[in-house]
Amino acid sequence: MIFLLLLPSLLLLVVVFLLPLFRYSWLSFHADSVVTGLIAIPNGVANWVRLSLDQRYWQALGQTFRFAVVSVSFELILALSIALLLDQRWRGRNALRAIALIPWALPTTVMALGWRWILNTPYGPIDRLTNLIGIGSLNILGEPGLAWLATVLADVWKTTPFAALILLAGLQTIPSDLYEALRLEGANSLSSLRRITLPLLRPYVLLALLFRLAQAFGVFDLIQVLTGGGPAGSTESVALYAYINALRFLDFGYSATIIISSFIFICFACLICWFLIKVLFTPQRSFLKKVS
Amino acid sequence: MRRIIILKRSLVSLLAILVCIVTVNLAEASEIESISFLFPAPYAEATRDLVQQFNRENRGKIKLSVIRGPFATEAMSDLAISSLILGKAPFDGLLMDVTWLPKYAATGWVEPLESYFDQDDVNSLAVGAREGNSYENHLYRWPLVADMGLLYWRTDLMKEPPKTPEELISISKSLQKNNMVDWGYVWQGRQYEGLSCVYLEMIEGFGGYWFKTNDNKIGLDQAAGVEAASWLQSLIKEGVSPQAVTNFAEQEALQSFRAGDSAFMRNWPYAWAELQQADSSVRGKVGVTTMVANPGYSTATNGSWGLTVLSGSSHIDAAVKAIRFLTSDESQKQLFLKYGYTPTKQSIFDDPFLLKEAPIISELGRALKVTKPRPETPLYAQISDVLQRQLSGILTVEQTPGNGMIHATRNTEQILISAGEQR
Repeated sequence: MIFLLLLPSLLLLVVVFLLPLFRYSWLSFHADSVVTGLIAIPNGVANWVRLSLDQRYWQALGQTFRFAVVSVSFELILALSIALLLDQRWRGRNALRAIALIPWALPTTVMALGWRWILNTPYGPIDRLTNLIGIGSLNILGEPGLAWLATVLADVWKTTPFAALILLAGLQTIPSDLYEALRLEGANSLSSLRRITLPLLRPYVLLALLFRLAQAFGVFDLIQVLTGGGPAGSTESVALYAYINALRFLDFGYSATIIISSFIFICFACLICWFLIKVLFTPQRSFLKKVS
Repeated sequence: MRRIIILKRSLVSLLAILVCIVTVNLAEASEIESISFLFPAPYAEATRDLVQQFNRENRGKIKLSVIRGPFATEAMSDLAISSLILGKAPFDGLLMDVTWLPKYAATGWVEPLESYFDQDDVNSLAVGAREGNSYENHLYRWPLVADMGLLYWRTDLMKEPPKTPEELISISKSLQKNNMVDWGYVWQGRQYEGLSCVYLEMIEGFGGYWFKTNDNKIGLDQAAGVEAASWLQSLIKEGVSPQAVTNFAEQEALQSFRAGDSAFMRNWPYAWAELQQADSSVRGKVGVTTMVANPGYSTATNGSWGLTVLSGSSHIDAAVKAIRFLTSDESQKQLFLKYGYTPTKQSIFDDPFLLKEAPIISELGRALKVTKPRPETPLYAQISDVLQRQLSGILTVEQTPGNGMIHATRNTEQILISAGEQR
C-alpha cells in the first residue's frame, strides 16, 4: 500500500531524472554526430579519452568551479546579512522584503542583457563612471581577467535574494525565548549570532548552499547572453560547452560525455560541502542543554 | 430566471457560430495547402508585404505563413536545430545562413532542389550568389539575399577610401591626430561568428587561405594567416580601433560609426539603410567599398541567406512556388529598395533605373564579385569556433599571433582527426 502511494513520485523521478541519466550515460559510449548522420554508433571509451585530453574542457571545468565557488560564497554572506536585516522588526520591512525579491523574479536572459548594456564600453553607465573618476575605460566584458568577475557580479545580484529567502525562512523557525534566555545570562548580540542563530540555521544554510551550488555549477543562460563564453573562452562554463557541442556542432555523443562527467563532479562537490557544513556549524550541545 | 434564458440563448448562438467556423475551415482546408517557413526576425518583417501578395495571388490554393524567429543568427540556428532533432519540424522551409548548409545536408534535413531549378535559373544568379547553395553536387538552397562584408567610409573626411591595410591605418591615424574622429576603424572583435568573417577577409586579403575543403589544407599558421591576425591586433595596440572592439558585434560597431565617432566600419549591407535614417549623424556622408587588402586580393565574406525545403515536408511543390515568388526580380527589387537587402539576380545589378535611383548597387555588385565562402564542411561550426577563440586570445593580447595561429591550426587538425575516426 505504501509503495502504491509512493508510485507517482517515483515515476516522476524515473522519467525526469533516471531516464535522461541512463540515456546520456549510454550515449557517452557512442559516436552520434553530424559525421555519423546522427546515428549512434558504439565507440567504446573514445569519447572519454577525448574528454580527458580536451584542454578546453578542463579549462571550462576550472572556470565553472571558480565561478560557482566565488559567486556562491558572496551570495551566502550577502544573503545572511540581508536575511538578518529583514528578520528584525522595523517599519517598511514588508515593503523591503518584496523589493528584495525583484532581481530573482527577473528572467535571467533579461537581466543578463541589462548587465551587458550596463557594462558596455564605451556607451554604458559603468564606463562613463570610471572615466569620470579618472580610472579610464575598463572594457570589462572585453578583458579575460575582468569578464568572469562580471559574470559573478551579475549572478550574485540575481540569486542573492533566493538564498536570503531560504535563510529568512530558517531564521523565523528559531524560537525567540532562546535569545531571551541568552540575554538574561548577559551575552551580547554577537555571541547570540554565533551561539544560537548560526548553529540553528545550519540545515537552511546547507539547503541554500546545495541549491545554489548545483545551479551555479550548471550556469548557462547568464553566460550565454552576457559574454557568450568569451573573450578568448575565459568565461565558458561546462554547461555552455556541452550545449555548443550538441546544438552547434551536432556532436551529441561528446556532449553527453561532458554532461555525465560534470554530473559526477557536482556530486562530489555537494558531498564535500555537506561534510564541511557539518564540521563548521556543529551546535554546541553543552550550551543548548543549559538553556533548555 | 430571465438571466438563465439569456445565458442559454447566448450559449446556443455561440455554439452555432463555432460550428459554422469549423465547417467552413474544414471545407477550405481540404483544398488549401498550408505551408510555413521559419525566417529570422528581420527577414520576416521585410517579407511581410511579399507574403501577403503571394497569398492574394494564390487565394484558395496556397496559404504561406512565415514564422518569425529570433534576431541573432546563432539563436536562429539553435532554434531550427532544436526543432529538427526532435523529428518532424513544425515548418516546411527554412531561411538558412550560408554556413549551415553542409551540416543540414549531411544530416539529411533538407530536400535536394535540382529537379525544381534548372541551369538557366542558376545562370540568372549573379556569380557571387551562385556559391554556398550546393553540397556534394546537390542543390539544396535558393538564395534570397546576397550578403557580404563591406568597408564603410566617411565621404566627408576623405576623398578616396583606403585600398590597402597600411593606408587604412595611416588615414585613421592622421584623422585621429587632427581630432576629426575618436576612432579610426570599428569592426567585429567579439568572440563569435562575426570575428571569423572579419578574419577571412583579412587572411584572403593578405593572399592566404583559411581552409581548403578538397584536400583539408589549413592555412592559418602560414605567413598570411599570422599577418592577418597581427594586423587586427595592431589596430587595437596602436589605438586605431578602441580596446572595446574586442567585445563588439555588428550592432556595437554600427552604434559607434552611426554616432560619427569612427572613420571606417566593417559591416554588412543592412547597415546602409540604418546610416541613412534621420537621426543618424553620418547621414549622406557614407561611402561603401570592398575591404582593404593587398593589391588584387580584396575579399568579401559571403554571408548570404537562402531558402531551403525540409525533407519530410508534404508540400514541396507549393514551397518551391513560394520560393520562386520570394526570389523573383520584382520581390528582389522591393527588398532592396525598401530594406536595403542585396539582390541575387544579375539582371537587377544591370537595371538602369536602380543604377540611377540607388547608385550603391554598383558597389554592392562589385563586392559580390569578390565574395569568398567560409569553409564549406559539416564541421564548419567547430572549425570556426576554435579560430574565434584563438583570435579573441590574440586580440585581448593573451597570446602572440604566431602562437595563436599555431594553436588554431592544431585544434582544427584535431577536429578533422576525431571526425575521421568516427566516420
